[in-house]
Amino acid sequence: MKAKMIPLFLLTVLFTFGSCTKDFLEKSPPIGVTEENFYKTEADAIAAVNAAYAALQFELSPGGHFRWFWGDIMSDDSEKGGSGDNDVNELLQLETFQGPANTDLLEAEWGANFQGIYRANVVLEKVPAIEMNGNLKARILAEAKFIRAWFFYNLVTVFGGVPLVDHTLAASEYNMPRASATEVWDLIETDLTEAARDLPLRSEYEPIDIGRITKGAAQALLVKTYLWRQNWVAAQQTAEEIINSGEYVLAADYATIFTLEGENGPESVFEIQYMNASGGNWGKNNANEGTFTNVFQRARGQFEGYGFNIPTQDLVDEFFDGGEEDPRLEATVFREGEPMGDRGVFTKEATGQPFDYYPKKNFNNKSEEAPFGDPNPNGGTNDRVIRYADVLLMHAEAAWHNGAEEAARGSLNEVRLRVGVPVINASGDALLQAIYRERRLELSMEGHRFFDLVRTGRAVAELGPLGFQQGIHEVFPIPESQIQATNGALTQNNGY
Amino acid sequence: MKKYSLLPFLFLFSPLVLFSQFRVSGTVTDETDGLTIIGANILVKGSNAGTTTDLDGRYELDAPGPDAVLVFTYIGFRTVEIPVDNRTRIDVVMQVEASLLDEIVVVGYGVEKRSNISGSVSIINSDEFSETPILRTEQALQGRTAGVQVAHNSGSPGSALTVRIRGVGTINNSDPLYIVDGIPVEGIDFLNPNDIESINVLKDAASSAIYGSRGANGVVLITTKGGKLNQEGMIEYNGYYGMQSPWKMINLLSAREYAIIQNEAFIAAGKTPRPEFANPDALGEGTNWLDAIFEPAPTMSHQLTLTGGSERSAYGVSANYFEQDGIVGGAKSGFERATVRFNTNHQLKKWLTVGNTLGFTWLKRQFLPENNEFTTPLVRALNMDPVTPIRKADGTYAYSLYADTDIVNPLNAIEQTHDTWRSNRLVGSVFAEIRIMEGLSVRSTYSLDATYATQNTFYPLYDLSNIPELSDAPGGEKTETNSVAIGNNTWRNWQWENVLIYKKQFGLSHDFTFTAGTTALENRHDYSGGANTNLPSNDPEDAYISNTIDPIESQSSYQGASESSLFSYFGRVNYGFANKYIVSATFRADGSSRFGRNNRVGYFPSFSAAWLISEEDFWNIPMINFLKLRGSWGRNGNDRIGNYSYSTLVYSGQNYTFGPTETITNGSVSLVSANPDLKWETSTQTDFGLDLELLEGQIGLIADYYVKQTTDMLYAAPIPLVAGTDPPIRNIGSVENKGWEFAVFFRNRKSALKYDLGGNISFVQNRVTSLGQGGDPIPSGRVQSANAFAAKTEVGHPMGSFFGYVTDGIFQSQQEVEAHAFQNEGTAAGDIRFMDLNGDNVIDVEDQTYIGNPIPDFTYGLTANVEFKGFDLGVFLQGSEGNDIYNSTVRYDFTYVNRPVSVLNRWTGPGTSDFEPRANLNDPNQNARISDRFVEDGTYLRVKNVQLGYNFPKALTQRARLSKFRIYVSAQNLLTYTNYSGLDPEIGTIGGTLEMGIDRGFYPQARTLLGGISLGF
Repeated sequence: MKAKMIPLFLLTVLFTFGSCTKDFLEKSPPIGVTEENFYKTEADAIAAVNAAYAALQFELSPGGHFRWFWGDIMSDDSEKGGSGDNDVNELLQLETFQGPANTDLLEAEWGANFQGIYRANVVLEKVPAIEMNGNLKARILAEAKFIRAWFFYNLVTVFGGVPLVDHTLAASEYNMPRASATEVWDLIETDLTEAARDLPLRSEYEPIDIGRITKGAAQALLVKTYLWRQNWVAAQQTAEEIINSGEYVLAADYATIFTLEGENGPESVFEIQYMNASGGNWGKNNANEGTFTNVFQRARGQFEGYGFNIPTQDLVDEFFDGGEEDPRLEATVFREGEPMGDRGVFTKEATGQPFDYYPKKNFNNKSEEAPFGDPNPNGGTNDRVIRYADVLLMHAEAAWHNGAEEAARGSLNEVRLRVGVPVINASGDALLQAIYRERRLELSMEGHRFFDLVRTGRAVAELGPLGFQQGIHEVFPIPESQIQATNGALTQNNGY
Repeated sequence: MKKYSLLPFLFLFSPLVLFSQFRVSGTVTDETDGLTIIGANILVKGSNAGTTTDLDGRYELDAPGPDAVLVFTYIGFRTVEIPVDNRTRIDVVMQVEASLLDEIVVVGYGVEKRSNISGSVSIINSDEFSETPILRTEQALQGRTAGVQVAHNSGSPGSALTVRIRGVGTINNSDPLYIVDGIPVEGIDFLNPNDIESINVLKDAASSAIYGSRGANGVVLITTKGGKLNQEGMIEYNGYYGMQSPWKMINLLSAREYAIIQNEAFIAAGKTPRPEFANPDALGEGTNWLDAIFEPAPTMSHQLTLTGGSERSAYGVSANYFEQDGIVGGAKSGFERATVRFNTNHQLKKWLTVGNTLGFTWLKRQFLPENNEFTTPLVRALNMDPVTPIRKADGTYAYSLYADTDIVNPLNAIEQTHDTWRSNRLVGSVFAEIRIMEGLSVRSTYSLDATYATQNTFYPLYDLSNIPELSDAPGGEKTETNSVAIGNNTWRNWQWENVLIYKKQFGLSHDFTFTAGTTALENRHDYSGGANTNLPSNDPEDAYISNTIDPIESQSSYQGASESSLFSYFGRVNYGFANKYIVSATFRADGSSRFGRNNRVGYFPSFSAAWLISEEDFWNIPMINFLKLRGSWGRNGNDRIGNYSYSTLVYSGQNYTFGPTETITNGSVSLVSANPDLKWETSTQTDFGLDLELLEGQIGLIADYYVKQTTDMLYAAPIPLVAGTDPPIRNIGSVENKGWEFAVFFRNRKSALKYDLGGNISFVQNRVTSLGQGGDPIPSGRVQSANAFAAKTEVGHPMGSFFGYVTDGIFQSQQEVEAHAFQNEGTAAGDIRFMDLNGDNVIDVEDQTYIGNPIPDFTYGLTANVEFKGFDLGVFLQGSEGNDIYNSTVRYDFTYVNRPVSVLNRWTGPGTSDFEPRANLNDPNQNARISDRFVEDGTYLRVKNVQLGYNFPKALTQRARLSKFRIYVSAQNLLTYTNYSGLDPEIGTIGGTLEMGIDRGFYPQARTLLGGISLGF
């Protein structure tokens, strides 16, 4: 071989691959769909928004963060319960307002809501580019907006201002600081307004879509938002749109609302769907279809529950305040000697615990449990988040503030008449107090009380004896772990 | 003038020179014993013509002329060049080469004279381990070289060993890169150790950086045997047969003792003891389950090797059959391997050499569950109550009335296990090397590594019930249905490599070598399998998926594939000045499909330098014949990060229920954000070393100090929760390993008593230096008896350190319990006192701390080989110092299982024990929680091998036309010195890098006694 052939040889050897190296090094996973290859079809769009719905079901992943932890246990309606003070002791600390900022419970609440926001943001970013039926696309985007608003609503009411994550975050944005509560409320209001505009009425959905977010749900959450923002006019107006839509009526029998047959009933406005499904492994992998509320709220001992969320004597007494027992009490709490469905008679011996009352609205019968002997105690009870009765009472409250006492009394008494208690004819502050009291009787143990007290400025009066301090305990502490994880980009709430 | 006068003379004689053959003959002998040398090489300098000495040490050669020069070479002897000088008889006495400095050593993409290496390379020649029967190649590394820590992951035949070069480099895959004859291979269980010529370990970054993104955990270069040019054909047979047995037994409670403890535990828990245990003495000794599961197990090997070479061609052919049964389960954990190897090379033209390597391996391995607390025969034997007999009166296996779920009759479980892995693997290459001009050559190699493997599993139908109709046996002792599963795997890897080497000497003192090349390789793994239940036959021979009575729909199946590719440029420049100063620089660019789009190509440089002080003119210490100082710096990577870790998949199953009948409706989202920046883990290493030889190579010392920083370590560190996704795997962690290594040898090969003593010791300090922002500690080592993690990897600590409570004796009285921090509601006298480290008067998770380190302070090996008058004695010791073991073999989470004999010294009243707590069924104090109670010193010194052999004198063997006849006996793991209470202190890493030193019912290594024979024709 001649020396002058060397360069030629070298070139051949070294650059044989030069031209095709790029392709040669491109290997995509043969199994599974990468994000780049997804979000192409209508089915992909539906699957994307369904994944956002799935986040509504998160209760134990990451960590326990039930809605009733905050709405009920933190209020004067119920106390922690469990097997003793050490059973989820952090909950006891929080409900006595000595709450540490480093509890897993708040971290779970924080994380789960942002997981839901991420999933809604994915829909809002990916679905617009998909070629598909325009109406369906608009609906899916509106569903995602509601879902995003719902998670921000949870965050702003529990924590106050939070990072305004209105898009999927790049790694460089993880240390996003907190926005003000006003900015968060603005986003919620915008999302809900747009969602209400594009969502179908409940009656416009096919039966197969029962459980999807409706125009009424978006409007109802918007009413709540307006109440928090004391925009009474918009609140009353939006509530009246729901009332006038003719989509909802109060269920004839109050007690049936909380039974399996009562799910997605005539007064159901926003209900998180659960089913008695196997698997889910304690809510891990975020792939659980059942609720753990059932087992957590059932009495211990032979009732095979964990005995949390124990109604207080103060709550029970409220039902007797008018002299006679309000008929709604029987649907709200179990009292000693009463049968607990098909699980036996409630005695303290049978529960092994000293509590006088147990919550009833999320009780499930043994016969309703999954037949497959799943060791994970999934329950099937839907979470009635917004009922029509709530809408009516919100309407009453807003109307009162607008000076429309007649309208206020009308809605209030519609709720009272359903259970056959005397109508209220009061006016002025007595009427407002009657509306407040009605909310407690009608909606107790459904996760509203603490937030109602804070929203209406009554928290210090009612919860002060439990340790509530004005200007501090309206919101909970930002999880300490998240302040550390963001190198202090997140700031702690006042007083913590 | 002279020139002119010579010219006609040469001209005149040149035809004669060309055409006349000048015959030379003679005998080659060994200077030490005066005996002839068989197989010495004689070559005419500057040509391929040559021959070897015959069985009588004689040779005959046609030299091209009376002024030719003959080169005599023989392994272990100094090469001599002798001018023929018109002689027809030349007898040569060869001198022993004491120093190995002139040895040619394989380095990355080339060879180098040992004395000229400026990096840190350990060299293990086959003669160091060929006389020791070993099953796996990794064993040849254990204890034989400094800086390489090797531990058995299990004593079951054929199981992989953990190999760590210079510490544990990452929390992820820390295995070194194995290159066999230039072919990168995943796992070296296919290699027959008898086929290996040499193993070279590239330890520092400068040596391994030429392997770029794959070199971070060190590189092991393995060269297999081939023939040599001009070598007379050689036939060798090696065979051995041996028996293995356990080297240690643990005392277990007798049935009587078990009943006494159980009775006490019942009473302490406020329960009535079992009536059948009312008279413990009546129960006697009971069953020793450990005795029952062990059995003597045979092992054997047959190896046939043929080598030879002509002037232009050389070949090596070998065949081997190896078989080893396990000391637990016999053939149920047995290993069989058959290998065939065929290596050749041919000098086709003056400028062209072609050749090949080809190895085929068939292996079959049968598995018993290993190293877990649930299903291993060991854990079952240690925890099974001694009251239960092995068999019922009718001869069938009995079940226990007391032991819990996992703890079933281990002998039945072994019998019902049918789990077999069969693999066929072909690893081969072809190459062509072109000599373009003096000093310049190009070599192109194409290689293929193809594996076809199948795993067959059969779960038979059985029922240990006393009365089958009642099906009274517990769940673990019977099956409702039988089932079969099969898994098929195909790995196909190819590589094409082109290397150009240019060697040039400028002037007298400037030596220059330039190496450059490219590599392209592609790996593909295909897998598929299936399973089915309800086979009409319960015979494992009939276990095929199609042999079922179930409908075809009940079959399950899966299939998938995974691919990766790599394309690289690499180069090296070596420059030596006057044999005194050597500098070398390497560079590699690796493009890999495994790296994210933003980091698809990585660049890896290195530099090294050496100063051979002993070559300096001013050197005047004749006792020190060689002294070299080395220093190197380099950077390389670890590309074992998974094939698609940078991409993100959309996961379905994120469901919600809609509709009146609550229909589960699919939802899909990606749960992890993609990381297009994902890349290799980077390792940067600085090394300083010294090579020293005294007394013409009779004494030697190699010392190294290194600091190895792993950065960009992959870790899915938690990210702020606002992201809403699980954390992606990112290049964020870092680990530091630093340490000293020393190797010494003393050898004398020049007298009748030849000896060769060697020792090496390695000190490593491992420390995690970062786990990224918010880098939470990583828990690992889940221990079932405490239902908690026993280890933790945290910044500032060694990886996988044990983490738990600190014990502080036993509460001797209730007053002591009350005086101490609150532990548990039911804590009472006789329970363990745990230290209240944070002084808050409550014993809780805040009182846990670091309680042990599974990484040894140092590991060492010692070898001694002595030869005298045909006898040879070899002793090999290996040890580990300062490593801790977490003993997790006892199932404290179960109430009625057996306990270690230490429970006999339990607390029974004030002053009775300050270590072993009271017996109590419920363990209200959680005495079994993760604590230093279960951390033991894992230090050991093991006599790995002792061997005595005898070489029959040549006078005898030559009469039988044999070149070699040796017999030997050998004992492996003859003695072990350790304080560890478990079955074996040599505990590797099972289930991931961070699972170090946790004994979950380890399959112990066997003590083997064997005898063997070597024959050469």
